[in-house]
Amino acid sequence: MALVRVQGLTYRHPDAEAPALDGVSLEVQPGELVCVLGPSGSGKSTLLRALAGLVPHFHGGAFAGRVEIGGIDTRTTRPSELAGVVASVFQDPEDQVVFSQVENEVEFGLENIGVPPEEIRGRAAAALESVGAAHLAGRPTPEISAGELQRVCLASALALGPELLLLDEPTSQLDPDGARALFELLGELQLAVVISEQRPSLPLEYCDRVVFLEGGRVLLDAPRDDAVRWLARNRPAYVETAPEARAGEEVDGEVVSLLDDVSFSYGGETGVESTSLRVRRREIVALTGPNGSGKTTLAKLAAGLLEPGLGRVERTGRAAYLSQDPGRYVVAERVDEEVALGIGGDLQRARRALGLVGLDGLESRHPRDLSSGERERVALASVLVTAPDLLILDEPTRGMDPDRKSALAALLRDGAGRRATLVVTHDVAFAAEVADRVVSLARRREAVHA
Amino acid sequence: MSPVPAAALLGGLAAAALLADRTVSVAVIALLLLAVCMRAPRRRRWPYLVGTLASGLVLFLFSPLLGSYGGVVYWEGPSIPVVGVLDVTSTELGEALFQGLRLAAVGLAFAAYALLLDHDRLLQAGGRLRRSVLAIALATRLVPTLERDAAGYVEALRGRGVEVSGLRGGARLLSPLLAGSLERSLNLAESMEARGFGRPGRTRAPRPAWRRIDRLAVAAAVLLVFGGAVWL
Repeated sequence: MALVRVQGLTYRHPDAEAPALDGVSLEVQPGELVCVLGPSGSGKSTLLRALAGLVPHFHGGAFAGRVEIGGIDTRTTRPSELAGVVASVFQDPEDQVVFSQVENEVEFGLENIGVPPEEIRGRAAAALESVGAAHLAGRPTPEISAGELQRVCLASALALGPELLLLDEPTSQLDPDGARALFELLGELQLAVVISEQRPSLPLEYCDRVVFLEGGRVLLDAPRDDAVRWLARNRPAYVETAPEARAGEEVDGEVVSLLDDVSFSYGGETGVESTSLRVRRREIVALTGPNGSGKTTLAKLAAGLLEPGLGRVERTGRAAYLSQDPGRYVVAERVDEEVALGIGGDLQRARRALGLVGLDGLESRHPRDLSSGERERVALASVLVTAPDLLILDEPTRGMDPDRKSALAALLRDGAGRRATLVVTHDVAFAAEVADRVVSLARRREAVHA
Repeated sequence: MSPVPAAALLGGLAAAALLADRTVSVAVIALLLLAVCMRAPRRRRWPYLVGTLASGLVLFLFSPLLGSYGGVVYWEGPSIPVVGVLDVTSTELGEALFQGLRLAAVGLAFAAYALLLDHDRLLQAGGRLRRSVLAIALATRLVPTLERDAAGYVEALRGRGVEVSGLRGGARLLSPLLAGSLERSLNLAESMEARGFGRPGRTRAPRPAWRRIDRLAVAAAVLLVFGGAVWL
């Protein structure tokens, strides 16, 4: 018997004109790992929220059809009553954390669902252990990295012992090794998992079934092998092949950014140590490495946002830095004004930059009214418009669908001749697609050039 | 020390500062609380200390100009409509020092609460008041969260070559900070609901029992309130 049964689900957000989900029907069997793919705004996150009962109870809007989890109708059951049967981990771990200590965070859900007090500590510890985060117990949540926080959120969900686990882009903050470890863990769990992802290579390796959404409708619901064949035919960007190395000619432009033996620490904690990096005009350098290796710190040093404690930083011309968090590009009241902030309010140039990233027609909207994918592109336009000599992008593909990623790679390659570009990324395929050179940072070690 | 007795002790010190009549008593309480706050990491404590001490200083500097307590006149300025003659007298300076220290002491007690207490355990001790204590705990975390958000906005602007400085620059960030807080609170509420918050029949993880020092702290808090009203 199916654990999840969705029949003719149509849902429209309050004040939205078009439905986010349109006639969706699917089933999930116990123990099945189902991957939901689709472009930004296709309804993946909304579907996960419907399975958790948060749509419509928490979000309101117009809901038609039926969603049953283990025979429980989500329309007649509050999401809090479903907790324990269903557990969710949302996109942004920072927005989910209630407590300031890791173990208290994991215990929170157990207390809410009425687990006997004598079992709470043990179950929380076991959940942390299962996601490889036992060492984080006792640590303050504000002081751990985003990747570690994502593990804590996963532990909080697993501690509930759910039958259905819902994961919304769980690898967005993880390095490739961390992401693979997560999927191996999911494969070992004896529970149904529905996972929404924008980096499809790992999910396609581990999942049992693929659901492809577009415009709120299910275009494909098939076992993995059939789905991979369908994707290769119809949506080839989702079937990532082994990255092809770009032609290895060394770029001989002037050195725009030079970091020579730099070190930086946050308080007493080392950010980077004795690291050197050089980026030339017309060159795109991808900076990769595991969580906590200091990629972002190095990028900020190159951009001049941080001053090194030791070593030398030299830069020719103007630098622009794109932050990891697109939520930081919502200072102005209109999208075009936001983009024009860095160019003295020149709205004509701002609108041209918006056109470059495919946001024509959204100029007068408030940046906060845009989807997360659209916000990413506003942020990108905000730095591209400044026409910098050194462009630094920190995790620019986070939350971006494969088609949009290819478009970004093409955009960066098109403009590469005018500037030096440094891209910080966990996305190995994107790095291979866009970069002339990849620099890998080991944890607290010098850069290894490749 | 457990967080409930520690919170009671800080509350007792704040109450004593408010009830005390002598400047030296309030000064000792303020210095004691300042020493406690200095135990917090430097990066976290400075906004609290600057905010609290600056507020006390502003009160000390401006209240003599507006008060009229008589005494030896040290300085006399122009007469302003409604306010009257601006002057500074010995009595006004003494009163200003007293009120400035009192404000600083109360602010430092809050700073110590925000910086050093384990709010999670305080929340767990809330019992029937858990919802109210949760609201207070989340509100307390708002300050560092806003601080982090503000730093993020400034960094994103600097990354585009826009420098944020002065009151006007800071004011530009108020609206996004407020909107961001509201957005974050909605996300948090959604996450809490998905984790069963508000469902009947909740339980509590076992908590460590109070030790002797905890009982002493509560007794000291009561004594401080009483002493503030009668002796200090």
